[in-house]
Amino acid sequence: MSSSEALVMALPKGRILSELRPLMTHAGIEPEAAFDDPASRQLKFATNIPGFDLICVRSFDVATIVAFGGAHLGVAGNDVLMEFDYSEIYAPLDLAIGKCRMAVAEPVEMVSGDDPRRWSHVRVATKYPEITRKHFAARGVQAECIKLNGAMELAPSLGLCERIVDLVSTGATLKANGLVEVEQIADVTSRLIVNRAALKTRPDEIGAWIERFQDAVRAEQAAKSLRKKAS
Amino acid sequence: MENGERALLPPGMSDLLPPDAAHEAATVESLIAAFAAQGYERVKPPLLEFEETLLGGAGASMAGQTFRLMDPISHRMLALRADMTLQIARIATSRLGHAPRPLRLCYSGQVLQVSGSQLRPQRQVGQAGCELIGAAGAAADAEIVALAAQALTGVGVRGLSVDLNLPTLVPAVCQALAVPEAQMGKLRAALDRKDAAGVAAQGGAAAELLGALLAAAGPARKTLATLSALKLPEAAAREVARLAEVVGLIGAAAPDLKLTIDPVENRGFEYHSGVSFVMFALNVRGELGRGGRYMAGANGSLEGHGGEPATGFTLFMDTVLQAMAGPRPAKKLYLPHGTAPADGQRLRADGWTTVAALAADADAKAAARKLGCSHLLVAGKPALID
Repeated sequence: MSSSEALVMALPKGRILSELRPLMTHAGIEPEAAFDDPASRQLKFATNIPGFDLICVRSFDVATIVAFGGAHLGVAGNDVLMEFDYSEIYAPLDLAIGKCRMAVAEPVEMVSGDDPRRWSHVRVATKYPEITRKHFAARGVQAECIKLNGAMELAPSLGLCERIVDLVSTGATLKANGLVEVEQIADVTSRLIVNRAALKTRPDEIGAWIERFQDAVRAEQAAKSLRKKAS
Repeated sequence: MENGERALLPPGMSDLLPPDAAHEAATVESLIAAFAAQGYERVKPPLLEFEETLLGGAGASMAGQTFRLMDPISHRMLALRADMTLQIARIATSRLGHAPRPLRLCYSGQVLQVSGSQLRPQRQVGQAGCELIGAAGAAADAEIVALAAQALTGVGVRGLSVDLNLPTLVPAVCQALAVPEAQMGKLRAALDRKDAAGVAAQGGAAAELLGALLAAAGPARKTLATLSALKLPEAAAREVARLAEVVGLIGAAAPDLKLTIDPVENRGFEYHSGVSFVMFALNVRGELGRGGRYMAGANGSLEGHGGEPATGFTLFMDTVLQAMAGPRPAKKLYLPHGTAPADGQRLRADGWTTVAALAADADAKAAARKLGCSHLLVAGKPALID
């Protein structure tokens, strides 16, 4: 083991990745061809930078892998970071991608007759039981969480629960399922995360990567505002 | 009960087997010897104390991690130590209150914590550490950091790195810039996670300066340069000047030690009042140990503290062992049945570990191998078993 050992960066599969690619390019990271090949079964990828590898995993697993030091750097939404609240993860940079919000939603017909001040207990379907419990506990309400991994919006109509806590970006899915957003819990964006021990023991290398991504975010935002002006 | 079930232990508990148990014990003893060599004398506090003594004052920060039981004799609540630092501080300010200062004490022992974390599931952890009581100067801060580092490198820890922290800096900045008390909780959480976006959102008037402090973390020299270029409130600037002095002294005492500074780190420093630190090792998960300045015997609040200036550190043996090479296989010598007791004694005096046959073996070499011996005594001389 030495400080020249490869750095590993964990990236989330799916929609965030396409938003992340321009930032990676700007930071000078060019993954090997298999990275962009949807048919490839490969999970770990080399890059143009010797000693810098990428892994592609589920977004919740990015946080866990970085917390345990399996990867030194990663990209994760603050929804995931809030849910796990790992003490070994630092989130030094807001990448300003993957923007959405975490909200409480309930059926349209419930909204008018509901008085949140009278609640002592709610039943909520969510992918985020910890955040949900904390959110309701802060106002003295006990939240019974039903953990689902997707299609939360179905749960109220199936009689599993009255409310859901989920990520909302446009609100179209909620509307299509007869739900309305009643409360916002947090704004969500993707963050560059680093393992605490890795940052402390390899401050120069990891500090340099944080700076590179910082430059990339600045450049991307400048480009975005230019595009806005042009249109 | 099935055999398998009998082997099951409660969560966070484990058996340490050969050769690891001996390795841990030997490591603890080498660390204590390194502490003793610099004048730190060993003390041994008990496992249990009265709840209100152990968890009073600064001990309140450990309340959530402490097991309690009811004492059938005194009918009072007892607490099982979850950390030893405050026990040493109690000894120093009570039974050794009259001893000349500065007082140097060291200790080792087991502690129990109510819940392990996902990253550190152990609930019973071995600790070893030092406390330097009755010394307020930068020299004391530097002695403690250098001693911790030298003791760890001495037992063979590789890639050691010490992160210096100033838990009083952020409160000083927030107070000077009048950040409302109500905002402190969320701000603290954002700072702890190095969440730059969160700090910008919660920091109010201090957001810009706190953001700069957050970004300043890194190798010690670089961070000190950045910090001295910042326009800090007077109280905060004094803290930074003290840190710079300590860094200089550590550099002189342990020139090869890798030092980083993180000016906003606060986690686990609930009762600390000055230069503090956390030790890491390359490619090792979690902390090897931590320490720093506090008020021994204080009533817990940093404002109205009585108490004596003190500093010290605690090492966590589970992580320390991860950062070391594993135990070296012992040179074990098999003594065939009938070996004269005097021969055994002579060989042990020469440094051999001997394993004596209790009955005559048909094949002494095979028996030796089965019991993990590297050598067999043949015609009065140790012979290597191939």
